[in-house]
Amino acid sequence: MPDGSLNDRGIASLIEPGRVHRRVYTDPGVFELEMQRLFGRAWLFVGHSTQVPKPGDFITTDLGRQPVLMTRHHDGSVRVVLNRCTHRGIKLVAERQGNRQRLICLYHGWTFDPDGTLLRVPVDEGCAPGFKLCDFNLAKAPRVGIYRGFVFASLSPAGIAFDDWIAPMKQNIDDIVDRAPGGEIALDAGVHRYLVRANWKMQAENAVDSYHVPFSHASTVNQKGVQFSRREGDNEGAKVVDGQRTAPQWKQRRSYSVGHGHCWTSNTELKENERSSAVYDEYRRTLEAAVGKERSDWILTPRMHNSLLYPNVSFMGLNMHIRVIRPIAVDLTEVNIYPVRLLGAPEAMNERNTRLLNVTHAAASFVQSDDLEAFARAQAGLQSLQTDWVDISRGLGREEAIDPPGALRQMATDELVVRGQFRAWLDYMSEA
Amino acid sequence: MAGEYEQFLIHESTLLDERRFRDWMALFTEDGSYWVPATVGQRSPYGQTSLFYDDLELMRTRIDRLEHPLIHVQTPPSNTVHLIGSVTVEPGVPAPDPEAGLPTSDVLVLSSAITAEYRLDHTRTFVGRQRHWLRHVDGALRIVRKRVDLVNCEAAFEAIAVPV
Repeated sequence: MPDGSLNDRGIASLIEPGRVHRRVYTDPGVFELEMQRLFGRAWLFVGHSTQVPKPGDFITTDLGRQPVLMTRHHDGSVRVVLNRCTHRGIKLVAERQGNRQRLICLYHGWTFDPDGTLLRVPVDEGCAPGFKLCDFNLAKAPRVGIYRGFVFASLSPAGIAFDDWIAPMKQNIDDIVDRAPGGEIALDAGVHRYLVRANWKMQAENAVDSYHVPFSHASTVNQKGVQFSRREGDNEGAKVVDGQRTAPQWKQRRSYSVGHGHCWTSNTELKENERSSAVYDEYRRTLEAAVGKERSDWILTPRMHNSLLYPNVSFMGLNMHIRVIRPIAVDLTEVNIYPVRLLGAPEAMNERNTRLLNVTHAAASFVQSDDLEAFARAQAGLQSLQTDWVDISRGLGREEAIDPPGALRQMATDELVVRGQFRAWLDYMSEA
Repeated sequence: MAGEYEQFLIHESTLLDERRFRDWMALFTEDGSYWVPATVGQRSPYGQTSLFYDDLELMRTRIDRLEHPLIHVQTPPSNTVHLIGSVTVEPGVPAPDPEAGLPTSDVLVLSSAITAEYRLDHTRTFVGRQRHWLRHVDGALRIVRKRVDLVNCEAAFEAIAVPV
């Protein structure tokens, strides 16, 4: 039996090679520790620089449970500061996004620059002797890293360097961004927000779980075993069921686990040469004109389906979106889905991609809604005392070593990627 | 005059409450659409996310799925009741819709709607202003566009399986 306490030995006893204790999903004490040790240390996705295009623009979000602002400072740089007045603790900004050249606290009027510099304190004759404005700047995220416009922050000054953390996943980000003829994407086409009565790790695991698709999404699969088309220009979607069984094509998918909890799944065969529609053909011509035919063919050949940058963001190649996981409580999670807009692409192509997400990943979508049901039922089922253990042993011991050292590959219907996430989880959760 | 349209809206919502989704879809014209924006005052369903934006083809796919025995998010199904009120009719020619491509309609009917939904011990409420652009086809009213602006359209929603 696992140690009941939440010391290092207790935490370590929750994770075994092929199974994890149900407390990792259900125990509020474990969740509190995750907020400190995992979300308080790891590199977390904050937002994309195109969400704050002009000086004074801001978005608000939470890193773990810390309210933060991502701002565009007057000098054009992107900053991540804590959304808390340094005087009496008021949350400075309530809106999800907007533009302000000065951030003024509603309570006593303390006034900050977008980079967090305290500019002015009203009635300054009341300030304590020796009071210095610069001692009361907004707290900054201790570390910020940006790759191709994607802004990440760590709430800890120490830990793995950003470059080392993101290195194995750069190709996954490139895989989506390079599809833009202008070489840049924007996250400015709105957001699908959904709420799930389940632990955040369900969504992290599910983003790279290929085993559930034929069953969870049965209501989206036609009589030929084919899911509806998820891409502009496709005649039909991927074959996931053959008779009563998972289709051989589906089993050709592979999962990759590359350390730090990062992982992705490859695509199944998608008949690239048959992909054509007026909108898609125009997009292809635009991309070819920008980067040449050979490079364009390479960019448009699907390699990655879903990628997870552990712990809180997913890059989804097939459905062209960025998925952000926001833990709220041990059994409550918000997930935000941002359509990717390819700068330089025909607007009709971007509109089709965005509209497709209404179908696949809105709260009212055909695909994601059944996942939400699965997560909620998992959370309910884990209250059962039938056993304390959750099985994640599929493919255990059959992993294939690949480059770089430590990276592993396996059939995507196995659970390599879940085990990889829990290895990272244990690293973060162990006291440094 | 408003009475006829009020009866039509009540009939429409009753079809939804009775889960007669195919009869509901039959109320729409062939070029009809059903739109629930995700942003207050959203001007277009293109280029920005929406909660629903179904043309007839998507509506048919949605209803095929609602009738599929393995739609987990409707196992068990939702039980809903719609309440329609504050029905007003835009006099004269309906105001042009700001977004491109809205087919012509004969009349614009505005109303408020409250939908209570119960499923798995959980009750929730959708509240919104509705706009129905209607056209007379062979003597019967048909929906060219239905737009529902939920008061909390920007909220994080748990899964929504049935039209609101």
